[in-house]
Amino acid sequence: MSAQPRDLRRRNKAARISRASGLASGKLVPHERTADLLRAVIEPGDILCLEGDNQKQADFLAAQLASLDSSTMRDIHLVMSCITLPEHIELFKKGMIRKVDFCYAGPQGGAVADLLASGKFPIGAIHTYNEIYARYYIDLTPRVALIAAAKADRAGNLFLAANTEETPAIVEPTAFYDGIVIAQVNEIVDELPRIDIPTDQVDFVIGAPYPMHLTALFTRDPAAITDVQILMAMVAIQGIYKEYEVESLNHGVGFNTAAIELLLPTYGEELGLKGKICKYWMVNPLPTMIPAIESGWVETVFSVGGEVGMERYTAARPDIYFTGRDGSFHSNRPMGQLAGHYALDMFIGASLQVDIHGNSSTVSKKRITGFGGAPNMGCQPMGRRHPTKAWLKAGREANPGPGSIPGRKLVVQMVETFQAGRVPTFVESLDAQDPSIKAAMQGVAPVMIYGDDVTHLVTEEGIANLGACRTPEERTAAIRGVAGYTPVGLKRSSADTASLRERGIIKLPEDLGVSPARANRSLLAAQEVKDLVRWSGGLYDPPAQFVDW
Amino acid sequence: MEKFQQSFPSKQVAWPASRKWALSGVVGSGNLEVLIEPSAAAPASVSYSVETSFPGYKDSWLAALGDFASHYAVGGTTITIHDQGASPIVITMRLRQALDLLTSVKP
Amino acid sequence: MSRVPYHELKARERIAAIVDPGSFSEIIPPPERVMSAYLPKLGIPVAFDDGIAIGRASIAGKPLYLAAQVGQFVGGSVGEVHSAKLVGLLKSAARDRLPCVFLVESGGVRLHEGSSGEIGIAEAIRAVFDCRAAGAPTIAVIGSDIGAYGGMGILSACCDFRLMTEHGRIGISGPIVIEKWMGKEAFDSSNRALVWKTSGGKTRFLLGDAEALVNDSTDAVRDGILSLLSRSAKPDLAFVKARQKFLQERLDTFGKTPDPDAIWAALGIRDVAAATLAEASEFVESFAPKKP
Repeated sequence: MSAQPRDLRRRNKAARISRASGLASGKLVPHERTADLLRAVIEPGDILCLEGDNQKQADFLAAQLASLDSSTMRDIHLVMSCITLPEHIELFKKGMIRKVDFCYAGPQGGAVADLLASGKFPIGAIHTYNEIYARYYIDLTPRVALIAAAKADRAGNLFLAANTEETPAIVEPTAFYDGIVIAQVNEIVDELPRIDIPTDQVDFVIGAPYPMHLTALFTRDPAAITDVQILMAMVAIQGIYKEYEVESLNHGVGFNTAAIELLLPTYGEELGLKGKICKYWMVNPLPTMIPAIESGWVETVFSVGGEVGMERYTAARPDIYFTGRDGSFHSNRPMGQLAGHYALDMFIGASLQVDIHGNSSTVSKKRITGFGGAPNMGCQPMGRRHPTKAWLKAGREANPGPGSIPGRKLVVQMVETFQAGRVPTFVESLDAQDPSIKAAMQGVAPVMIYGDDVTHLVTEEGIANLGACRTPEERTAAIRGVAGYTPVGLKRSSADTASLRERGIIKLPEDLGVSPARANRSLLAAQEVKDLVRWSGGLYDPPAQFVDW
Repeated sequence: MEKFQQSFPSKQVAWPASRKWALSGVVGSGNLEVLIEPSAAAPASVSYSVETSFPGYKDSWLAALGDFASHYAVGGTTITIHDQGASPIVITMRLRQALDLLTSVKP
Repeated sequence: MSRVPYHELKARERIAAIVDPGSFSEIIPPPERVMSAYLPKLGIPVAFDDGIAIGRASIAGKPLYLAAQVGQFVGGSVGEVHSAKLVGLLKSAARDRLPCVFLVESGGVRLHEGSSGEIGIAEAIRAVFDCRAAGAPTIAVIGSDIGAYGGMGILSACCDFRLMTEHGRIGISGPIVIEKWMGKEAFDSSNRALVWKTSGGKTRFLLGDAEALVNDSTDAVRDGILSLLSRSAKPDLAFVKARQKFLQERLDTFGKTPDPDAIWAALGIRDVAAATLAEASEFVESFAPKKP
């Protein structure tokens, strides 16, 4: 038995706190002293977590961190969800980072590719959200976590408002394993509307000089929805939503699914589907869902994050959204992701590239993006045991025979065969398979959704039921069959396509009773953002960039 | 700018004699315009003339134009296209709209 | 099922929806292929009508000349051919003493064509005044996404009347250009709420820059054109002097007011938030002060 003391970590935390004691009054530190605080509590070699996902950013703390000198701030193992801000890139340029474990690098994807090429981006691994949160409890527990909250009281309790997102998933493992939690807050008040994080789990609070950065990531302007997207939406409603009686679901952020949301009160109503489909949602408070909610389609919506402008509307609909005792909206990213994994009939999303095996990716040689949450929702949860109608039907198609898994989640990829600028969506091989990209990822190509998990592919040409294909060759033929005039599609054999159509594996719009002539914008329940405001009874406050009146 | 011409066999079009032409679409990003006019020369084929600012997709163009010629009766016409990067589904939609305009009888 | 709003229609669809059925007789139609000589040299695709359809038509039996710009084609810009079509149309209207209506959707002069676009728009503006002097009413309809900017903003301002929807915007320099030269603090072009409150239909109507504000539908636009056709506004010296006095007073009153909502309030709008959301017809009926 070694005589090593069992509280080294705790003593080290106490030493760090005492180094910072002169800076704080209670737990409150003036924002002018932020750099001193970071220098006092962060040590070389630390695992440091910087809060920031695709919407919410601890941007003041990130900027303060990036302003430090690499002589004091070095050898850091950075763990975070999203590398989104120029300040995050600065940490790498200054050489502070020994290793980085992260999920996603959307807007900085180009900068990350450049850093990677110059050897300044030492990737541990690229994760999905739930993977990295899980690792915060296993082998990547932060020593210091820099987080963001809406409000704090003078005791250091935190209110997270609509954007709870991942804050609890960072704070809990950090606080309960003797790490240090530093929060930037928009406002310090005497009394909080509700307490989302108790002060017991918080070490320092800084009233930031400006409010945290929030992106209106889930707002889609109905004015930008095209007739082609409406056609695809009609095909999806007929061929999947109605066919499988999809009750619980997640929608991606694209215009394709926004079109579906806006067709429910019109086309969906006409098909008599209200009350039968689309009742339970795990999705952010999408403004384009307001017409469906107001028409009585939706029972509940749980969200991984908030959406700018939806605060008053969500507060007015506690029958639909999850709200706190103070009346305002509540979100939780890990729990939403968990729900998306285990509790949904269907995940439907879009992608930039789909290969002939049905694998999809958003990575290109010039842009290293990563994963986020889609892979956790767009996959088959092998640990699922509870049945639903849709799950059983998809299971029967995919796994016939004794002893096979009885059910299957519907994992749907909805893409136009070409992206803007005539770039084909369908490719023989993903850019993600490029050797230089695989080399940086320990030999594994960054695939967003695996073809083996996909049950259906929807394009403007029709639906391919990949789940019902019996061989990899058959799956490739089905993909080519709906890949239109892309090079992948032009290689199809008309005999194969006809036989797959015969068996119902490929369905064209006319097979589903969808008339392309009806696919136009007048079918949308809202044609512009102002219509959404009207549907909401004036409770939706669209951000200024979406206003044109 | 890429330019090409190609003829495909097609059943003869039927339209009111009062109509001399039809135009659909506009030249703009991701869009195209289609002008369809009678051509006495070959009643059993359609002659396409394409000008596009997105070069390199001729195979895909010809496949879409050929399918249109075989699915619809457009023989005896010339179809001229100005394109700014429209996807094949948009190309097909505009061709159909132009044909509908040409063959629809309005008071 | 709702009908497609005016601002979503393309130029030729707008004409078809507004004029008496079958009455539009196009001048220089697409098969004549009178197209830009400049754009092919720059690798930009040409359009059969150079982005504008012109012709004669009737509305409720009243004959008139009409032009509709294609905003999607190089921003609805006015190049050599495009401006020649405008000038010819205006000259015909002046000669026949018939109204001339513009369905405007243009960012202004087509810079790709150098001075020929600039000269062309100047000739067109001159022709507008010839029409007015001849007693042929000119009406600019501004209700599209792109609006009326640059030379087409000026041309529209020179017409007898401007009919707008709340989607329409009129100005000289566009928001991005203003931001570029004056800085984001002076004018944030990504703040679309501010852009529309500055140059959009409702504000222009309140300020007296637009004579009519109508709903975003082709029926409302047609009715609006008809009611303006019955008004006479042949300019004389007294008219011009009164207009200049009005503009000077407006500048003195609001020239230093940075907040458009404050201007709305000062112009008599009691509930700015509700007025902002109101349909154009409701706005004119219930919110805007009555015009003399």
